[in-house]
Amino acid sequence: MNWFNRQDVTLNAALAMLVIILFGLSLMVGPANLSLDRVIDGLFRGEGISGIIVRDIRLPRTILALLIGATFGLSGAALQGLLRNPLAEPALFGAPQAAAAAAALVIAFGLAGATSYAVPLAGIAGAMLAIGALLAIAGRRASLTVTMLAGLALASFAGAAVALILNLAPNPYVAMEVAFWLLGSLQDRSSDHLLIAFPFLLSSWVILGRSAGAFRALTLGEDAAASLGVNIDRTRRAVVLGVAFGVGAAVAICGSIGFVGLVAPHLVRRLVGYDPARLMLPAALTGAALLLVADIAVRLLPGVVEIKLGVVTALIGVPFFVAMIFSERRMLEGSPS
Amino acid sequence: MSAQAAAALLSARDVAVRLGDTPVVRGASVTLHAGALVALVGPNGAGKTTFIRALAGLLPADGEIMIGERQLGIMGTRERARAVAYLPQGHVFHWPMQAAAVVALGRHPHTDPFATPSPQDRAAVSRAMQRTATEAFADRRVTTLSGGERARIALARALATEAPVLLADEPTASLDPRHQLVVMELLRSAARDGGAVLAILHDLTLAARFADRVLVMDGGRIVADDVPSEALSPQRVAEIFGVEAMMVDTGEGVALIARHPI
Repeated sequence: MNWFNRQDVTLNAALAMLVIILFGLSLMVGPANLSLDRVIDGLFRGEGISGIIVRDIRLPRTILALLIGATFGLSGAALQGLLRNPLAEPALFGAPQAAAAAAALVIAFGLAGATSYAVPLAGIAGAMLAIGALLAIAGRRASLTVTMLAGLALASFAGAAVALILNLAPNPYVAMEVAFWLLGSLQDRSSDHLLIAFPFLLSSWVILGRSAGAFRALTLGEDAAASLGVNIDRTRRAVVLGVAFGVGAAVAICGSIGFVGLVAPHLVRRLVGYDPARLMLPAALTGAALLLVADIAVRLLPGVVEIKLGVVTALIGVPFFVAMIFSERRMLEGSPS
Repeated sequence: MSAQAAAALLSARDVAVRLGDTPVVRGASVTLHAGALVALVGPNGAGKTTFIRALAGLLPADGEIMIGERQLGIMGTRERARAVAYLPQGHVFHWPMQAAAVVALGRHPHTDPFATPSPQDRAAVSRAMQRTATEAFADRRVTTLSGGERARIALARALATEAPVLLADEPTASLDPRHQLVVMELLRSAARDGGAVLAILHDLTLAARFADRVLVMDGGRIVADDVPSEALSPQRVAEIFGVEAMMVDTGEGVALIARHPI
């Protein structure tokens, strides 16, 4: 009854359909537009130019957009469920930035190759530090003000760490490389990247999905949830771990991409009756759809240089966040600090 | 059935709780019998909420707390949750969920996280909503409800667990006079159906009128545990609360009238 609800079959089916359509579109769109026939041909027969484009270039990128978008949607829904706060989002707490800083450290100083497991592991460690520190600073009652201030501090610190890495980069070329990578992109990602990230993304889904019931009980606050048999400390640890696995691995592959975790749950929350458990699956599907749209959009925008995915999600996400603050203002003003 | 013959659903001996370095509860004991509504009263800062949270297993505590025949400390969280329902102060709902969905949260300890609600779950939810007369707004969002309606939904949520023991922290706070009576009658009927109910109350008049027994707490200790007319004698009310009060026999129980601060 928790993460999946029969009432939501239509919603989830519609969202899944949307994701499938966008998946197909993502394989068709690019510098060389391919017809659906050629995509299907390239995908299943894999011959000629269209085979290379679809299988080697667009398929890994598309699958990554889907998986990473879903992970961000799920991470946002989980953090919001834990903190009972619709404005919670990994990026506001510096999680992707911290993951990026840790991964950049590994890349910039040549500690490991860009497609080794060291990069996602570093990313996960960075994200875990950020989310863990956030929950530790915000404390058990997780008041909105304290949480947001702690998130601000952590995001700033992660930014400073990134700046330090750029500052100390062995040569300007590496600094440029890291700086561009930080902007967030799925361009030129291969199936190697996919294979590295997948186990971590999958673990993140399992860890977060198992806490869905706890998020629902937390609607009543921590004491009531605990009295209903929810282990609050374990749930907090699960969220730290799950979000860190998901965001850390995602950021290690595609750089810093924010705000999908904020926007995706918000778009579907009303449709699932504001139930934090029923929210999980639609939020994941919506996150996948959003990142697919964004990744298609960056390929359609005219210009010599492809606009980075993280730039697009931030440009759309931040105004969205501000609009949410406006609409939630009454609730925020009434919240205990 | 007399109180002595009824089963002790919860018994606590010498419970002590420290919050940080401060001892908040210093050796408090209580026994809750099936069928009885017990009021816990005391001035602000007496340790009532901390005591009741310890009884609910939400705080580590010294001393012995038994739920039925089982020791609270060795019970699993879900087992404990099925045995003791806890209604915290303030009737908090963080998301504007439907009232019926909130009440269904009371079934959390009974439901496998990935299973659909069983017929028993549905039946318990509808019983709880029937008893609290909340079916009429089952589909409304909890955030759109009035204070009295929210209080009843919160209580229905706690009742839906169908735990033998119900611990309620100020269930009547911030309610209008009519809803205070409604909630007290609901608590009493929950007890009469075989449960044991312990409710923190600030209104001594309500405590005297509805409770079968009153526990008076002061400075982390239980200083009286008796029928209302004894536990809330004018001398004790003066001593503990600093209020001059008088007790009137109304024919259907005693009424306590607080007159002025001392």
